Amino acid sequence: MTSATPAAADRTAPDPVALVTEYFGRAIDSLSSWTGELAAALRDAGGRGAVTTEVLDDLVEPYARRTFDSLDLPVYGAGFIAALDWLADARSHLAWWQGADHAKLVLASQSVNKELIDYSELEWYRVPQASREPHVAGPYVDYLCSDEYTITVAAPVDLDGEFVGVAGLDLLIDQVERDLLPRLRAFGDDISIVNGVGRVLLSTSARRETGDSIRGAALEGFDRGACPGMALEVLTAR
Amino acid sequence: MLEHSLAHAAHPDRAPTAPMGAKAENDRVTPAPRSGRPTRLHRAVFQPIGDEGRAALVERRIADAIIGGVLPSGERLPAETDLARSFGVAPATAREALLALRERGLIVTRRGRNGGSFVSDDADPAAFALRTLAETSRVALRDLAAHYLAITVACVELAARRADPSEIAAIRARLDRVRDDDLAAWRRATDDTQIELAALSQSARLTREQMRLQGELSPFFALVDTDADARLSNRTDLLALLDAVAEGDEVRAGAIIRAKIHRCVDWLIDLRESPSASPAERTAP
Repeated sequence: MTSATPAAADRTAPDPVALVTEYFGRAIDSLSSWTGELAAALRDAGGRGAVTTEVLDDLVEPYARRTFDSLDLPVYGAGFIAALDWLADARSHLAWWQGADHAKLVLASQSVNKELIDYSELEWYRVPQASREPHVAGPYVDYLCSDEYTITVAAPVDLDGEFVGVAGLDLLIDQVERDLLPRLRAFGDDISIVNGVGRVLLSTSARRETGDSIRGAALEGFDRGACPGMALEVLTAR
Repeated sequence: MLEHSLAHAAHPDRAPTAPMGAKAENDRVTPAPRSGRPTRLHRAVFQPIGDEGRAALVERRIADAIIGGVLPSGERLPAETDLARSFGVAPATAREALLALRERGLIVTRRGRNGGSFVSDDADPAAFALRTLAETSRVALRDLAAHYLAITVACVELAARRADPSEIAAIRARLDRVRDDDLAAWRRATDDTQIELAALSQSARLTREQMRLQGELSPFFALVDTDADARLSNRTDLLALLDAVAEGDEVRAGAIIRAKIHRCVDWLIDLRESPSASPAERTAP
């Protein structure tokens, strides 16, 4: 990180693809900065089948706090989600903190029993597990954690080649829009960020609704720029 | 009221013949909004919020989950401090709610190292659902169904516009793995499908509302599931619905879910009207 202010960073971004890549890349870099340390701590705690949810929570909490405090992004939630059947005392577990007061997420006490939700097929878990690479998942309605329209950035945690879970952070689209849209406008009035299935994350055109899709024939008429290292594209109307 | 009068004076052509009676009625409602007379919504802001305390709200949330079968018999509740933190209430408030749940026989508390609060063994969701059905008036049930229908149709139609076929294929694959003669698994899979479809609308508000309503109606739908023919129709409808959403056909998707909900509600009304489910017999000591 340089000491440049966000405004100065705008002017230095050469194009919208670089702007978007730098923005979400910051989140990936932040997570990747602690996945190795966490893996080592998990090994020291006994590894597979020996770590309890309570021990895990204590190990993860400082990294979650660091993610909130040190990252220049509107982080709504942060933590670690254990691989299924890895812990000693639970099939699945989210060591997760979120909201304005960074409160610990306790799933069982919510209105629908979210502990029963199998997260192994959710994009933010499934993709890093399969690719062993960080992933920007969403936008999607996160009915497990934030209950809001969300982007989850997730990085796999490997312990001696074994997948033990994902480190993650949530960004609310509402806040990403406030943060990123003004900077994106510097490059044009019909520029959209879309994800791997063509879903609009945000657009400088007020007529392109977040959540709608630009797919198939609708893609004609756009210059497409892929953001390296993440499944996002920037579409610029020709 | 001065501003109110000035607004009329500044735009005399807008309300040239306002009857004196209307003005007098306005005077009784305070405070009046700047832009004319209070609307119904404006009045609602100043309605009493009720005297239900926070402990009672926590109690109701957990009781609904137990009665709805979301928290099954034997399940351990989070520790008091965790409960307090996740609900955002004081530990004393969580304790008060747990005490009330214990008095109602919905939870039991065990001491010792593996102690804690557990959902009571005789909490039977089906019996609760039957009793609730018998005690709910037909008009209230129809009203609940109307609310559920409005939200579900809106979710499904938006999902048809916005979902990628691969996302529907993933839901379909999960549904295909569940046998509908395993009633508990089938109920959960159906609820999950409905919530996932809601999430594919990309609307957080609609999804939250769908989750709340699904939780409220799920125990009733579980009664419908006990009828093998009804279950088969529901499975067929659900698969047809997923096809319509995957094809982006919002009209067909809306029609299918509408017919499915109407059929389930009629089934429940019929059960409610049948002698074995009458309130007189069910509530007799």
